[in-house]
Amino acid sequence: MNLKLLGNWEIKKTNSSSALKKFGISLTSIVLGLIFAGLFVLLTGKDPLKLYSEILQSSVGSAYGLSETLVEMIPLALCSLGVSLAFRMQLWNIGAEGQFYMGAFGATYFALFFSNLPILVMLPLMLVASFICGGLWALIPAIPKAYWNVNETISSLLLNYVAYFWIAYLVYGPWKDPKGNNFPLTKQFPDSATIPVFGNTRISYAIFLLLIIAIAMFFLIKYSKWGYEIRVSGSSRKAADYAGMSYVKNVLKVMFLSGAISGIAGMAEVSGVLHRLQQTISPGYGYTAILIALLARLNPISILLASFLMGGLLVGGFSLQTSGFPSSMVSMFQGSILFFVLAGEIFNNYRLVRKKA
Amino acid sequence: MIEMRKIIKEFPGILANDQVSFNVNSGEIHALLGENGAGKSTLMSVLTGLYRPDGGDIYIEGKKTEFSSPKDAVNYGIGMVHQHFKLVQPFTVAENVMLSIKDLKQIYNLKEIEQQIIKQSEAFGLSIDPKAKIWQLSVGEQQRVEIIKLLLLGARVLILDEPTAVLTPQEANALYETLLKMVKNGKSVILISHKMNEVLENTDRITVLRDGKSIGTVHTKNTNEKELAKMMVGRNISDVVEKKSHRKNDKVLSLNNVSALGNNGLLKLKNISIDIYDGEILGVAGVDGNGQKELADTVAGLRMVKQGSVSFCGKDCTKSGRKKRIDLGISYVPEDRMTTGLVTDLNAYENMALKSYRKNHGAFIRWDKVRSDTDRLIQKFDVRLASTANPVKMMSGGNIQKLLLAREIDSDPKLIIAVYPMRGLDIGATDYVRRLLIEQSEKGKAVLLISEDLEDLLSMTDRIIVMHGGEIMGVVNPSETSREEIGLMMAGKRKVDLHES
Amino acid sequence: MKKINKIGVLTLVLAMILSVLLSGCSQESKPSTNEQASKPATEEKIKVAFVYVGPVGDFGYTYAQDQGRKYLESQMKNVETTFVENVPETADAERVFTDLAQKGNKIIIGTSYGYMDYMVNVSKKFPDVVFEHCSGYKTTDNLGTYFNRDYQARYLTGMVAGKYTKSNVLGFLAPFGTPEVIRNIDAFTLGAQSINPKVQVKVVWTNSWNDPATEKTAANSLIDAGADVLAMHVDSPTFAQTAQDRGVLAVGHDSDMSKFAPNSILVGDVSNWGPYFVQVVKEVMDKTWKPTQYFGGIKDGGIIDITPFSDKVDKDFQATVNAKKQDIMNGKFDPFSGPIYDQSGTLKVKDGDKAPDDVLLSINWFVKGVSGSIPKS
Repeated sequence: MNLKLLGNWEIKKTNSSSALKKFGISLTSIVLGLIFAGLFVLLTGKDPLKLYSEILQSSVGSAYGLSETLVEMIPLALCSLGVSLAFRMQLWNIGAEGQFYMGAFGATYFALFFSNLPILVMLPLMLVASFICGGLWALIPAIPKAYWNVNETISSLLLNYVAYFWIAYLVYGPWKDPKGNNFPLTKQFPDSATIPVFGNTRISYAIFLLLIIAIAMFFLIKYSKWGYEIRVSGSSRKAADYAGMSYVKNVLKVMFLSGAISGIAGMAEVSGVLHRLQQTISPGYGYTAILIALLARLNPISILLASFLMGGLLVGGFSLQTSGFPSSMVSMFQGSILFFVLAGEIFNNYRLVRKKA
Repeated sequence: MIEMRKIIKEFPGILANDQVSFNVNSGEIHALLGENGAGKSTLMSVLTGLYRPDGGDIYIEGKKTEFSSPKDAVNYGIGMVHQHFKLVQPFTVAENVMLSIKDLKQIYNLKEIEQQIIKQSEAFGLSIDPKAKIWQLSVGEQQRVEIIKLLLLGARVLILDEPTAVLTPQEANALYETLLKMVKNGKSVILISHKMNEVLENTDRITVLRDGKSIGTVHTKNTNEKELAKMMVGRNISDVVEKKSHRKNDKVLSLNNVSALGNNGLLKLKNISIDIYDGEILGVAGVDGNGQKELADTVAGLRMVKQGSVSFCGKDCTKSGRKKRIDLGISYVPEDRMTTGLVTDLNAYENMALKSYRKNHGAFIRWDKVRSDTDRLIQKFDVRLASTANPVKMMSGGNIQKLLLAREIDSDPKLIIAVYPMRGLDIGATDYVRRLLIEQSEKGKAVLLISEDLEDLLSMTDRIIVMHGGEIMGVVNPSETSREEIGLMMAGKRKVDLHES
Repeated sequence: MKKINKIGVLTLVLAMILSVLLSGCSQESKPSTNEQASKPATEEKIKVAFVYVGPVGDFGYTYAQDQGRKYLESQMKNVETTFVENVPETADAERVFTDLAQKGNKIIIGTSYGYMDYMVNVSKKFPDVVFEHCSGYKTTDNLGTYFNRDYQARYLTGMVAGKYTKSNVLGFLAPFGTPEVIRNIDAFTLGAQSINPKVQVKVVWTNSWNDPATEKTAANSLIDAGADVLAMHVDSPTFAQTAQDRGVLAVGHDSDMSKFAPNSILVGDVSNWGPYFVQVVKEVMDKTWKPTQYFGGIKDGGIIDITPFSDKVDKDFQATVNAKKQDIMNGKFDPFSGPIYDQSGTLKVKDGDKAPDDVLLSINWFVKGVSGSIPKS
């Protein structure tokens, strides 16, 4: 469809846009987002240039900032890989947050109650536990979806609250550290239940896990039989039935794996960063992950990059406050960039042309 | 009255209209004839302001005009009835008409609108009750509502896109009477169609498009079917395909007293017993919705039987699902090729893997092999497409069907189920599919052909089953039956001497 | 289509890195010019940073802490303060503390108990920076804790609530079962019972420090259950507005909430952290600061106090409450003086004893008269 625009210009749909053009569009989008946010900063009487440099400096401009961006990236990217798998099959798993908490729950169980195990047994055990707990949590909305076509969007979302309060119950109740002055925290994990980190950063070895999962997912979707079934089922359930693929089984398998990967993210967070379970372990990773998955068009490799970007924005965001910018400006800044990046997508599909006279 | 000069419209990879010129006089019915993908719809979308041409001009009453939106076209008195009606089902006729009125007052007078509807319907023989709800109306009546809407908007040029595709013969006749009255009143009608006989009977002039180009405009009274067909397809078409029976004596499929439920949970197949033999084309006739689709699904393994048994090549397969039946050698060309037979978001070679992807061992698909197979089939079946890497939805209807058939036939099946395989295809593609199916029977494959076109069934099949209300009314031999006999059975009369294998 | 974003996101990241390089250059030149222009050449200011879990505009807990920061800034000319609000108690917190330490802050104050581990970690990495943590229990060589004896003021506001209830049912909105919250509910109940032995305190958990929508629902449910005076230990004044709408009374918490519901608020406790912050800064400057577990009461310069009474509280009773306040200040009275029984009737504090600080800081039982339960250990 062509839309009339000013004068002799009009917007046309295109299907072929070169890599160079896409690069240019993305670059322009970011610059526009920066300028747009900068205008508001200017209106409040602050220096936008200082803000730009601050956010970049603090997220990727220093070794510490870069390391912290990677720390944020791990849970974001893992959850995002998780939801992206379900999204491929048009299963709107909004429950990554809850699956993340349940994964942390599974991992914590072993850290607390089998604390004498050696690290080489403990960590794999925690990994498997988080995988299973996250997966089973996602299976709860998957079963009614598979058998009775109950909308999974709402059920998976609501289960997030259940998971959150289940953890709350544990840390206020049975799992509370008896020596913790009654604060709602579990005991600190033993060293054997702690994922090692690089040097004196907070980046844990879970980042290898992330890379392996991302690459595996890429090959799974693109080349494997099961990945193909997921893509077909996601495009047309009727076609999947027609081709003799079991939709029900695939819903269950995909949702399980989707939740399991978010569960691993939960394990990586409690075991790699927090070293204990507490009421709040995620500032909304599971929700941001949805945005990342969509921004990256569900491509596993793009998800890594988009998570890095979002991680950088989160890190830079708090840093902005320490430099005296209000927290609302931080949100506005992040929103503005995302808005323009998403708007820029349009220009990948449409182009502005001068009408022939 | 309207003249389109050298219209060019380009889509990525496709030149949909290549310098097409076309004109309509007031008081005439002008047909736009062409195969699917010839550029008819594009040209009319340009005329109704939906697309802007990349080149060429439109003149209305001799004045150069530009439309920047469909609204502009409406203001010039150009309106279109689309194949899919744009009506709000729970609303009444008058309310639907009201929705399209420009400058509707905040406080409107529905009575007045109803009056106007009655006035228009009397003038042109479009009998309709303005107070009826849309969902209560037949397809033909809904079409009338669309036409009335345009008339009340002041349309002087009406464009109808395949208007008779959804109508019964009686309804189609009534429609043409209406159109005749309208042109007598000075209005113009443009008819988009690929049905030659109707066009020949009911129009004044015919413009034929092919591959985005205008082949020529002829006066209807000076032309004939042969000439038009040649213009449309670019070559001669033999009228009837010669059919010899290739039936052998090996039973491929047999259904014994099969009953099955429909999607709504009601019994849709009742005690069906049929056998299909090697090399046989078994036709199934019936009014749409009398169990034919359920029959196809049941044979294909997409629908489990409630009672009875199914056996394939002598072995019972009542309980086996779709996957098993694919392995047994049952190919299926479903009615709904765009969402069932193919995944239109995926590209051509990904679609070709839809059933064969399980074949090789291991967890991964050998895409290189799939790709080379696809290239071979595209050659063999003459599928035209810009690139095998483009989503299938970018292909034209005929080529999509060819792609689907290529996959289903290439898997070397023993039985091919084909449901309405020619529906919506143009002459060239229809002819191609017809030959292909007959060729398969020559090769000894059994074909279960479900069709609504009696001509096809009579000319292609060895036997015809007539279905009504989920039951078999009778089995007839094409050479010994008549359209009347089949018609009666389709309406629910049993063939008295029902006794066949 | 699928490839678009790979490239798109790659572009983003490249752009970010690119602009880092660019901004790196500008960054280095900018502050120097800025400082030269804006700074009058005086002695170096001491930088103090605050980390808040909620927004400074909550008119409750974080607001009160931030009032303390403003007080500090107004009292000491050579102090420069910054704050970071809405910092969750997740991995983000550690980064915020690190960032503040790296930016040259000499004193960093964290105001939520969930920052404890992160503050311990960061304090070890920055031995030259002084950390003060509100409500925690861990200290290091350069991390001290501070808190106020909120229960003393709670007891007094409980007295007022006990006096003015007609239904003998008081409603209490509680966020989580932390010792701080339980201590406050207990002190409130004890205060009310001292005036009106028949009083019962109903507790509703909101499961959030700041969730006005839930707080409104919770307040309504308490009123529906017969409560005619409401109290709370969350961060927003929502409950008071609900109380006023429904025509019942309320006592405030953390800051003077009478402006939100002048017809309902009888009195409230108010935290006044400013003087303590001034003290810490002075000690740091004098190099006398030591990591302590400060637990200040009403007598300590008003770090905890009650607000002025509303006109609805009659003068005689005001005098009664003020007398009790004097007793607390003089050490003649302690709200947690025995005998105190828990909900099950077990004697927790013997007659003549008073609960020691370590019990108060880790309390996990309700006194008799509270109806509601704490998540079980």
